[in-house]
Amino acid sequence: MMIIMKTNATPQQVEAVINAVKSEGLNVHLSQGVEATIIGAIGETHSIPIERFEGLDGVEVVQRITQPYKLASRQFHPENTALSLDGFTVGGNEIAVIAGPCSVESRSQIIETAIAVKEAGASALRGGVFKPRTSPYSFQGLGEEGLEYLAEARAQTGLPIVVEIMSQVQIDLMVKYVDVLQVGARNMQNFNLLRAIGEMRTAVLLKRGLSATIEELLMSAEYILAGGNQRVMLCERGIRTFETATRNTTDINAIPVLKNLTHLPVILDPSHSTGHADYVAAVARAGIAAGADGLIVEVHPDPAKAVSDGKQSLKPEKFAEMVMQAGQIAQIMGRKLAVVQGEYIKQGWA
Amino acid sequence: MMIIMHPGAPREQIDAVIAEIERHKLTAHPIFGVEQTIIGAVGDGHYVLKETFEALPGVLEVQRISKPYKLASRQFHEHDSVFELDGFTVGGTEIPIIAGPCSVESRAQILEIAQAVKESGANALRGGVFKPRTSPYAFQGLGEEGLEYMAEAREKTGLPIVVEVMAVSQIPMMEKYVDVFQLGARNMQNFNLLRAVGETRTPVLFKRGMSATIEEMLMASEYILSGGNTRVILCERGIRTFETATRNTTDINAIPVLKQLTHLPVIIDPSHSTGDSSYVSAIARAGVAAGADGMIVEVHQDPAHAISDGRQSLTPEAFARMVKQVRAVAEAVDRRLVSQHVTA
Repeated sequence: MMIIMKTNATPQQVEAVINAVKSEGLNVHLSQGVEATIIGAIGETHSIPIERFEGLDGVEVVQRITQPYKLASRQFHPENTALSLDGFTVGGNEIAVIAGPCSVESRSQIIETAIAVKEAGASALRGGVFKPRTSPYSFQGLGEEGLEYLAEARAQTGLPIVVEIMSQVQIDLMVKYVDVLQVGARNMQNFNLLRAIGEMRTAVLLKRGLSATIEELLMSAEYILAGGNQRVMLCERGIRTFETATRNTTDINAIPVLKNLTHLPVILDPSHSTGHADYVAAVARAGIAAGADGLIVEVHPDPAKAVSDGKQSLKPEKFAEMVMQAGQIAQIMGRKLAVVQGEYIKQGWA
Repeated sequence: MMIIMHPGAPREQIDAVIAEIERHKLTAHPIFGVEQTIIGAVGDGHYVLKETFEALPGVLEVQRISKPYKLASRQFHEHDSVFELDGFTVGGTEIPIIAGPCSVESRAQILEIAQAVKESGANALRGGVFKPRTSPYAFQGLGEEGLEYMAEAREKTGLPIVVEVMAVSQIPMMEKYVDVFQLGARNMQNFNLLRAVGETRTPVLFKRGMSATIEEMLMASEYILSGGNTRVILCERGIRTFETATRNTTDINAIPVLKQLTHLPVIIDPSHSTGDSSYVSAIARAGVAAGADGMIVEVHQDPAHAISDGRQSLTPEAFARMVKQVRAVAEAVDRRLVSQHVTA
C-alpha cells in the first residue's frame, strides 16, 4: 500500500502513520520527496482495509498496489480452476452451456424445456424457484415444489441443475436438490448469504451486481472462497449504464479482464446482458470469442407466455442455432462445448 | 407519436392537440379511455419533434413510436450499405482492418508502421495529425506536415488513409489528402462539423461519443447523411461507465443493435474500448463474432515510447497475431478478411 501524505503534513503526522503501519505487522518504506512524503506499507496487505490509514491526520490518499482479494487472484493460483459438474468441467477446455427458463412455472413446462435444451446441446439446466422480482406483486416462484420438478427434469435428462438462492434460510433445502447454487446480481453483496454458501461444498454461480465493479465481484467471490468452498464460477450479466436501447450493457471487457485477474471460470449471461432475444446469439458468440468459459441462456418453449423474462428468452429452435454458432466459435478458440452424455449418474462432489 | 393527455384533460385541450397534429400534416387518432385520452399522430413524422407537443396544455407525456432518424434507418434503406474504398468494400462480406498509430509522430515512424501493418494484414492506415488531447499541454499533432507523411505512406503501401478531422476549418486542406475522415468521439455532437462533413463526398468513420446513446449516435449520423454524404461508417469505441478496470466499457450490444437499426456499416475500436493492449485481441474477436463489419486498431512499433495511447497500442507482431485470430472468427460467421491489398 502507498500512503501519500499531504504536502503540509507535519513530521509528527508522518511518524503516527509509520507507527500505524508497523502496528499492522507491515514494513515501512519511507520516501521523502520535494513536495510530498510517501510511505510504502509492505507485507500481506490484502486483509487490511485502506480505511485503516485514510482517516489518519495528514494523509492525502491511500493507494492499494496489490489486489484486495487473495484466494480469487491468479497470483495466488496461477492455473485455471476447472470445477467438475456432472459429466463435464467448467473452466477447462470445455465450454458449459446452461439453459432453461427464467422461472419454473409448472412440471410440464420445466420438463419440456429441459428435454428441448438438452437436445439443442445444453450441458446444464437453469430454472428459478425463488424469484427476486422487481415488483413484490410479480410471480415469486414455486419454491420447493419447483425444486421437485427440477429434480425430475434432471432425472429425465441427466442435466445438472442451476437454481438461484435468495436467502440463507433456503440453503439446507436447496443443497438437497441443486447441483449449482446461483447467487443473483441483486445478492452479489449479500455478505451473510455469501458466507453461508462458503460453508457449503455445492458449486456456486456468482453473478455480477448491476452496478458492481470487477473488483467488487472478485471481493464477493473471496467471501465464498474464504469459507472453503472453492467451486465458484463468476458470471458477467451486464451492467447498468446510460444506454437504454438494451436492458443492460454487456461488459464484454470483463471477460478478458477477469480471465487475467482470476483463476475462476468466467461465464456470460447474454440473456440478461442484452434483455432482448434478438441480440442473445450475437453476444453469446462474442462472449466465447472473448474467452468466456460458458454461457447461461434463458430458453422458454413459448416466450410470449412466459411468466417472467419472455422478451429475452429464446425459443428452443433459436437456442439450437445459437449453440451451433457458439460451437463454431469455441472450435476456433481451440475449445469445445461440454456434452452431457447418457443417463444421469449422481457423482460425489469433486 | 403517441400523445398521452393528463387524466381529466378537458375537450378544448384535446382539440388543441389534434389541431397541432393536423398542422404538421399528420393524422390524429384519439382514443378516449375511461380516465385518460391518448392521441396517436400518424404519418411521416420523423422530423416532427416531441417537444412540439410536450409543452401543450393538458399533455402528460409524448412517446415516439417511429425512429427520430430516417436516412440512417433500416426502414428507409432495408439492405446493408456497402461502399468501396481503395481496393476493398466495407459493409459487405469483407471485414476491413484499419490500423496504425494514434498520432503521426514523424515521417520515419509512420512509414515504418504503414509497412508493418500492411504486412500483417491491415487494409487501411490510421494516424492522427490533429489530436483532441484531454490536456492542452499534451502533443497536439503534426498538422499538415503529418498529412504529407500520411500521403507518402499511402503511396508506398497502397493503403488508404483515415485521419481525424477536428474543425470545419481543416476540411478543405484535409480533403486533398485523406481517403476517410474520422470524426472522433468528442466531436460526435459537433453539429457544425457534422454538417460540413456532410457537404463533402469523402467517406466518414463516425465514432460514438463517450456518453452517447445509440439513438443519439444515429441522429448525429443523420446530420452527415442529410447533407448528401452517404458513405458513413459507424464505430463503437467504448462508453463511459462506473467500471475503472478498463479505460472504457465496450458496448458489445451496440453491434447487433446497430446492425438491426441501421443499414450503415458498423465497426469496432477495441483499442479505445479497452484502453489496454492485453485485451485488444479478445475484444477484436468478440466484435467480429457479434457481427461487426470491421475494426480500427492502434499499432505502434514501440508502444512504450509512443507519444500518445502507448498503453493500448499493439506491437506489429501482436497485431499480426490478432489478425490471424480475427480471420478465423470471421470465417466462423461466414465473413472474410479483405484479400491482401495490391501495392499501388
